[in-house]
Amino acid sequence: MSRAAAVVRKYATTSAVSLRNRTAYFSNYFGSLVTYGLFVFVFSRVWTAAFAGKAVIAGYTREAAIWYFIVAELAAFGFGRFYWGLSRDMKSGQVAYLLIRPYGFVAYHFFERMGPALVDTIVLAAEGFALGTLFAGPPPVANSLAAIAVVASLLLAGSLQYFLQMTIAMTAFWLEENAAFFWIYQKLSLVVGTLVPLEFLPDTARKVASWTPFAYLAYPPARIFVAWDPRDAASLLLSQAAWVLGAALLAKAVFLLGSRSVSVNGG
Amino acid sequence: MPVIEVDRLSKTFRSRVKPRGFVAGIRAVAKPETRIVDAVRAVSFSVEEAEAVAFLGPNGAGKSTTIKMLTGILSPSSGSARVLGLDPSKRGGRERNALARSIGAVFGQKSQLWFHLPPADSFRLLGAVYEIDRKALAARSGELVERFGMAELMDVPVRRLSLGQRIRCEIAASLLHSPRVLFLDEPTIGLDVVVKREIRLLLEELVKRDRVTIFLTSHDIGDIEKICKRAIIIHHGEVVVDESMKDLKHRALAKKYVGVKYAHPVDIDLPGLSPVKRTEDAARFEVDTRRHRLPELIAALAARGELLDLTVEDEPLENIIAEIFGSRSAAEASAVTAAARDARVEEEDAPVAGTDADGRGEP
Repeated sequence: MSRAAAVVRKYATTSAVSLRNRTAYFSNYFGSLVTYGLFVFVFSRVWTAAFAGKAVIAGYTREAAIWYFIVAELAAFGFGRFYWGLSRDMKSGQVAYLLIRPYGFVAYHFFERMGPALVDTIVLAAEGFALGTLFAGPPPVANSLAAIAVVASLLLAGSLQYFLQMTIAMTAFWLEENAAFFWIYQKLSLVVGTLVPLEFLPDTARKVASWTPFAYLAYPPARIFVAWDPRDAASLLLSQAAWVLGAALLAKAVFLLGSRSVSVNGG
Repeated sequence: MPVIEVDRLSKTFRSRVKPRGFVAGIRAVAKPETRIVDAVRAVSFSVEEAEAVAFLGPNGAGKSTTIKMLTGILSPSSGSARVLGLDPSKRGGRERNALARSIGAVFGQKSQLWFHLPPADSFRLLGAVYEIDRKALAARSGELVERFGMAELMDVPVRRLSLGQRIRCEIAASLLHSPRVLFLDEPTIGLDVVVKREIRLLLEELVKRDRVTIFLTSHDIGDIEKICKRAIIIHHGEVVVDESMKDLKHRALAKKYVGVKYAHPVDIDLPGLSPVKRTEDAARFEVDTRRHRLPELIAALAARGELLDLTVEDEPLENIIAEIFGSRSAAEASAVTAAARDARVEEEDAPVAGTDADGRGEP
């Protein structure tokens, strides 16, 4: 077996075993399905009320706004909870086993978390599409290229979510409590591009947001989904890829620095 | 060449002191108060290949911290450690990976198995992580399953296994990649006597048959006596004892327990030695061999009447270790063991109860 094949097998098996663990109980999905469905229902009502008497707000119709929310929430719900598991491993001391294996620590966790997250996202997408069709009519997918771009953008959004949340979780190498950082991260990512499209924000806020990674989490896949334009999509995908690369490098740097400062004393 | 070499290894932790009261809390934001804990202080030792070493100490002595530095989880504050010639404190890169492939670890209070999945899945993942060829993995898993008696357990979700079954799987999992050094941190914690014995036999076999070096921390004296031939005792972060189990057990405190039972009631009183237990035809003596010669004592007891039984027992290892653990400082602990060493020298010339200075027995 070549070295490259061994590395591919290492990370593929990591995802597969982690996924098997996640699907051990279907009831694991129940909570997310109910919460996500409730959010979609509530926001479909909110947008229906907001668009009463108006055909378009900031370039979005009522239907587009509802579909935007459904796809944006997929990125937030499917990939938005890496922090909790990562942080638990760091704080419980389980990190002891994780630090003595021959793998890239950040890469291993990427594949470990991404396998189950992808399945979570697919399950939620099925629900979202059913509810969207019910509340806002057929999905506005322009063509297969648009569909591929949406999927690619969701994957990039998931990757960016992972590297940012991993970075926050790894502050546990220095800090006893870091949940406040994640709380701020979560709120900012909700406000910037998840609950409402960036176009709904005031100009200055939108400009500021576009210089932060939060604008490249939920916004790109949802925007590409409801307003397909090949040029805009390419630009959004490139920006997302650049942020993913930057966040991955940051996570790696934080690991290298933080793992020198592990201070788990006692048994 | 030693497999583990530790030279003046130290680890200092700095932790924030939680302020008491609101005002102190506000002040601590600007000027936090920190406390420095010297968990390990200039520890030095080396371990040879296929040696089984017990690394002992009371809670908070620095055992786990040392193991974590040797496995590369913690970086030392000063000093150095080399395991199989590699530096565990290196982060990333080939040296780190080479070390990870050569060592195994079992932390008795943590698990490396996936809780909701059968051990077979964890083995498959660990095989992939250590880049073991599929055929080689199947062969190695099969061998370990047979040796550890896990055939019935491999397809049962870990959450349904008993603690003993889980620990067996944990140890087997840590051996999948055939490590040359195995670090065990409290591997038998919470296990019943039967399972403990099984685990000890398996570990003994690993040392003898596979020449695996074992570095073990445990509070269980049985583990230590059965598995290890050498003990390093760490106290207040410093090594206070580093000697063979035999020396530690038989000579450290120079104390023996002698029991006698006679066929008929006899006068058992011996000058200079009071029994700790006594009936009219039996007695048990605690003998300080610095003051009394054992052969002459036994001869004197045999001369008292018709013997039915005579036993000579060592000071229980537990007592020896407890005395060292009970010392308030590392210096005091060292003094306890130094006194024991001196006692060995004195033992050579000591008179025995019931004998005179020439060693002759009383009638």
